Amino acid sequence: MKPEDYAATSATGEAERQSLNLAESRGRPPLIERRSADRRAGRQLPASILTPPTPPPAPHLDDYRNIVGQSTLDALRFLAHELRGKTIKMVNSTAVGGGVAEMLNRLVPLLSELEVAAHWDVITGGNDFFEVTKAFHNALHGAPYELTKAAQEIFLMYNEQNRERMKFEEGLVVIHDPQPVGLIRSRQHTSASWVWRCHLDLSNPDARVWEFFRPMIEHYDAAIFSSQSFARQLPIPQYLFYPCIDPLSEKNKDLPDFQVQRVCDDFGIDRSRPIVTQVSRFDRLKDPVGVVQAYKLAKKYVDCQLVLAGGGASDDPEGTMVLEEVKDAAGNDPDILILDLPPWCALEINAIQRASTIIVQKSLKEGFGLTVTEALWKGKPTIAGAVGGIPNQIIHKLTGVLVHSVEGCAFQIRYLLTHPEFARTIGINGREHVTENFLMTANVKRWLLLFRVLEERKARRAKAA
Amino acid sequence: MAGAARPPVRRPAKPFYFNTSEHLLRIESQRATNLSELLEALRACPEDSVFQHTFRTLQEHHFIRQGFSNDFAHWSLSACNEPALAEQLASVDVREFTAVEGLRRRMVAIIDEFLENHPRSGSRPAYEPFYFCATDLVVLPTPFAPDTLGGFLDGLNQVSVHSIHHHFIEARLRLHRMSNDFSNWLEQQVALTEAADAIERIDIYTNTTEGVQLQIARIVAQAMNQESDR
Repeated sequence: MKPEDYAATSATGEAERQSLNLAESRGRPPLIERRSADRRAGRQLPASILTPPTPPPAPHLDDYRNIVGQSTLDALRFLAHELRGKTIKMVNSTAVGGGVAEMLNRLVPLLSELEVAAHWDVITGGNDFFEVTKAFHNALHGAPYELTKAAQEIFLMYNEQNRERMKFEEGLVVIHDPQPVGLIRSRQHTSASWVWRCHLDLSNPDARVWEFFRPMIEHYDAAIFSSQSFARQLPIPQYLFYPCIDPLSEKNKDLPDFQVQRVCDDFGIDRSRPIVTQVSRFDRLKDPVGVVQAYKLAKKYVDCQLVLAGGGASDDPEGTMVLEEVKDAAGNDPDILILDLPPWCALEINAIQRASTIIVQKSLKEGFGLTVTEALWKGKPTIAGAVGGIPNQIIHKLTGVLVHSVEGCAFQIRYLLTHPEFARTIGINGREHVTENFLMTANVKRWLLLFRVLEERKARRAKAA
Repeated sequence: MAGAARPPVRRPAKPFYFNTSEHLLRIESQRATNLSELLEALRACPEDSVFQHTFRTLQEHHFIRQGFSNDFAHWSLSACNEPALAEQLASVDVREFTAVEGLRRRMVAIIDEFLENHPRSGSRPAYEPFYFCATDLVVLPTPFAPDTLGGFLDGLNQVSVHSIHHHFIEARLRLHRMSNDFSNWLEQQVALTEAADAIERIDIYTNTTEGVQLQIARIVAQAMNQESDR
């Protein structure tokens, strides 16, 4: 089928659902499948989003001045000055993809710019190792798992191989997530402080898998979790480090209105009418069908459009099923736009979020919920499920609105659309909350503070000895 | 006229060192799933925790003008649906205390009395647990150390809200008296007693910290103008 045939197919009304599947259309001009009556039918999208854009250069500390203020940069520089010449090693299991790598890609250069040199090492392993660690990851999240001796041996063997390969000459060693946790055996040969940064929710882990990890974790000097509710009872100090977003990334940087308008035009989003948006993978835990139901309940009272923008449907069989369920729930409503986007469409997501009147994240289970952070950062009144780390971000009726049901979500959509002053106030508060707690600069500050606190503790121990 | 009786503004003998405090959040072992557990944990938790959930939480939410006073009040309402208790806890002004222990006793007394009057509320499960946290505090200098009233005003206008919180709210715990660093300096170093009193009377619960900062700067500016008119 030629590109023009796709448009023709759509225009003749053969597409039963309104869906834009860019991921599937990679390598050929994309289009939005629309019914013939739909004003968006057959629209061609810019070829620029078919392939990943070249990543922009990493920002420097001074680039954040207009966002966080000079006083925040002063505090960072003062903290760093006291640690100048000291070094940090970060270790995780992947150099690309995933939130941890994305965060380290920004954090490491900023620490180095502050003259607290940060080195980033990635552990290696065979397929058998990563199969085991994926199963462990799921089990630590609470999925049932039969822990075998073989799995434990594979895990420990690869950790031992990496331990022999790596040098630990820094003052602070930070191990991210469970995969490299066994490197702690090198601690006895170093004078460094060792910290375990856990990005997982350990509130309900598989007991046997947790018991396998616990003795190793107890040898660290401290552990860090992303939410109070994700932590375990441990004999070592536990710290709370919220995940963060980078306000200068493609996903979050300020956009001129013409750019927002261009993306809306490309996708056929009408900015003259209220726009309700959820950005998330097509995953049942994000409850996209619940969002469609809430929108339909709300629409009996208020005019609005619904945009469901996400990805994951093309490379995940379950995602494909969920996408179909969402299309079924959407029916023939021309005001529902479903976008299955490739992962590099950060700028487009940014523009859609900025064009939105309300942003929804009606998750049923969630990690920290960085899409909520992104929405709050854009000053958008945000409605979200009261799960995972979302209550850390949304203080009900002050920085957003928490909901527990489809009906609750529908009511809040109606309320926010008809009370724009209240919506504006929680939007402003939400952005302030993010500025204070969930930006990359706050993350840099926490690492510097932790390093300083651990150094002081080490000095006290040495003095006492 | 009252102004004529005032002693003239002195040149300060000591500069005002604007500092700020940064905090690293620790997750503590105590947690509560109902109000009775909250009471027990509040009695047993370290002072750092009481500080975190009262003084610090006010700083964390400095941008909210009304509706947030301390974590205990917020949880009583949002997780336990006890608005009367929440109102009582929210009415506690941290600036009435010069030691965390006194604040803890006040909070404990309010919850204790509430549970005596509403015994069934104690064991009713909260919608979500209360996780006790604490804070490792690090005090940092800022570039501002003025030794004139004009320089003091410049500093006030330029420091962060965290510096304001450090000098205006947390100061009581350091000074162990019902005052703040700004009023103290204005009174002792520059003899601006009225301005010092006016600053002390600013309501932190109906203002954002930024609003408090503006009010302090306005009071100092007015005092300077009055002095130049004399």
